[in-house]
Amino acid sequence: MVFDPVLHEHLWMSVTGQVLIVLGSLVFLTAMVGIVRLPDLYTRSSAVATAAGVGVALILLGVFFFVPGVTTAVKLMAAVLLQLVTSSVGAMAVVRSGYLIGSAVYSPTHHNELEERTEGAPGPGKEGRS
Amino acid sequence: MIGILFGVLVLTASVVVAGVRMFVGPNDANRVIASDLLFFSVIGLIALLGVLVGSRAVFDLVLVATLVGLLATVSLARALTNGRR
Repeated sequence: MVFDPVLHEHLWMSVTGQVLIVLGSLVFLTAMVGIVRLPDLYTRSSAVATAAGVGVALILLGVFFFVPGVTTAVKLMAAVLLQLVTSSVGAMAVVRSGYLIGSAVYSPTHHNELEERTEGAPGPGKEGRS
Repeated sequence: MIGILFGVLVLTASVVVAGVRMFVGPNDANRVIASDLLFFSVIGLIALLGVLVGSRAVFDLVLVATLVGLLATVSLARALTNGRR
């Protein structure tokens, strides 16, 4: 199957797919800016988890409009659902481990539930290491 | 077409930025987060490549990659603390 997106038979499908792909790319752009500019591990991980869930889901939805069909729909829907469910789980696991090995907490943060829950366990502590 | 090319451009830039964060990251947890972003960018790149090349076999690859991505992230999270939770 040779596929030419310009000569797509339905123009609206091509346009919708491209709009969805551009939206997903913009989510990735925010994640990109976030992972450079945000101050500590926890905020960075929030930016990355957003991109992993919403960004990948939007891009895969947009790709579906270019290659329509039942098999593509099943595969891409499974991928999107898995991505939406598991991205947050992975990010939370990484951040919890990062807290336990003592990643610094950005100093304006003033609500730290993990500090009370992991009493006695090693962590950044009240003063915060860097 | 221009939308797909924009997506490829942004995702490639995202791979580069994640690599930079992996290089300069203050500790290993930041590197794991950067590897997460790199992995998801590569998933998006694979899907867009499938559209550009016109191959349907690529979507199997995307499905398997989303399955393996969680495994990679969680096992890296365990490896960070040497298995302690």
